[in-house]
Amino acid sequence: MKIIKFLLIVFFISMSNNITSIADEAKMKKGLEIFNETAACAACHILKAAGSEGNIGPNLDTVSMTIESVTDMVTNGLGVMPAFGEGEMLTKEEIEIVSYYVVNAAGK
Amino acid sequence: MKKKLKKLNLSRRNFLTGTATLAGIAATASVVPISIANANHSEGKKGLPDFIGWKDRDALIVHSDKGIETHRSAIGESLVTPNRNIYIRNNMPTMTDEQIGNRMDWKVSIEGVKNPKTFTIAQLQKLGHETMATILQCSGNGRGFFKHKPRGSQWKTGAAACVLWTGVPMKTVVEACGGINGDAVYMTSAGVDHVPTGLDPKKAMIERSVPKKVFKDAMLAWEMNGVPLPNAHGGPLRMVTPGYFGINNVKHLGKVAFTTSESSVKYMKKSYRISPIGKKGSQYPSCWEMPVKSWITRPTDETGTVKAGKVQIVGVAMGGTKKVRSVKVSIDGGSNWKRAKFIGPNLGKYAWRQFVLETTLSAGTYNIASLASNGSDKQPELRMENRRGYAHNGWKDHSVNITVV
Repeated sequence: MKIIKFLLIVFFISMSNNITSIADEAKMKKGLEIFNETAACAACHILKAAGSEGNIGPNLDTVSMTIESVTDMVTNGLGVMPAFGEGEMLTKEEIEIVSYYVVNAAGK
Repeated sequence: MKKKLKKLNLSRRNFLTGTATLAGIAATASVVPISIANANHSEGKKGLPDFIGWKDRDALIVHSDKGIETHRSAIGESLVTPNRNIYIRNNMPTMTDEQIGNRMDWKVSIEGVKNPKTFTIAQLQKLGHETMATILQCSGNGRGFFKHKPRGSQWKTGAAACVLWTGVPMKTVVEACGGINGDAVYMTSAGVDHVPTGLDPKKAMIERSVPKKVFKDAMLAWEMNGVPLPNAHGGPLRMVTPGYFGINNVKHLGKVAFTTSESSVKYMKKSYRISPIGKKGSQYPSCWEMPVKSWITRPTDETGTVKAGKVQIVGVAMGGTKKVRSVKVSIDGGSNWKRAKFIGPNLGKYAWRQFVLETTLSAGTYNIASLASNGSDKQPELRMENRRGYAHNGWKDHSVNITVV
């Protein structure tokens, strides 16, 4: 009985880990799509993982950043970079996803 | 790689580009700055972008490939900052030699004058020739000290340099054009580094207006510290506006106009405005005149230790648009101050002065601060809180903690 209980716990833990990684993977996939297509971040930034070579803004593989700092930058813009949070260019959810993607894809 | 880029949603990209004619979009699509990236911004051997591969990596803190700061201790032991140590802050990609072409044929048009003219650099060099020292300082120098973490490079002390410029005084150029139109209020300088990007000039052009009076001391410079103005610093021709923040010293200069109103581009109307945290808009002051400021550069930065005994505490001090008059140094976090001595030559009110205080330190930790005055203003203790972290000259944040062993 104890063994069955133990195996069940192991099973649920491994399932939840898989679910998390599937969710992360989906987020990265969606983030790449936003980066390269929806928001066209690729037109202005280098990010090797996305295959982008734009050279208006900083090379994202060289910048130290956090999800919070990228979210702030994408939402409010800076200089020639548009404020994607204004005028509904991107939804809050899309900004959250693309920020997650950039931070996790940078330098890879 | 290219396949992914081809999939870019053009209608989305239009927010960056000009009027949305089909031809315009197609033209822009064909000049998406991929070729520029490949031309000069890939990472070189030294970990610096190729376009500044000639700089001294050890002297620099790399925030990004477009935001590169000078270490506190690498500002230089002489008065002028060596080119290889000078910070980089470029809003647009640096123009390449191919884009610039023959440097002597580079053109700048002068408008808002009695006789508008276009000069090549070769023609400017026949008009006049002078050398002057000014401080280049990014408006956001010191942003890294703000607690609310404003967007942008987190500069501490090193987005600044003292530079010798050689070029023709703007006054001479104005005289050659018959004088300024009577109704002008501003001198408006425009760069052309946005052109190769294909971006909408309203959003990407670096066009900066400053009060007209600035022309009296301004210069069109083609040389920087004894060498032709490097492309990375705005070559082949740059507007130099002494005493004004870096952004007004427009790089890759294509036009100077004396105008009745401020430029309407984004970099003038919206960017570089000193607004309270949480607020923005063109009603707030633009980053124009630099305030009085100083900071310690030696005997060490925060990372080093100093041997007990006699110590030379050295730093740089600037008066903004006025001559710096005095500097005081504290070794106890501002409780007590001693007057420091200016050293080195005086290169004029727009250059910084180096200062020194000789003292004896025993083992322990010290907070060393400097406080400069230009006669009418002195550095405040605290920063002026503002949304984008501009114009920081508070002495406390700029102080340095050192360990004496």
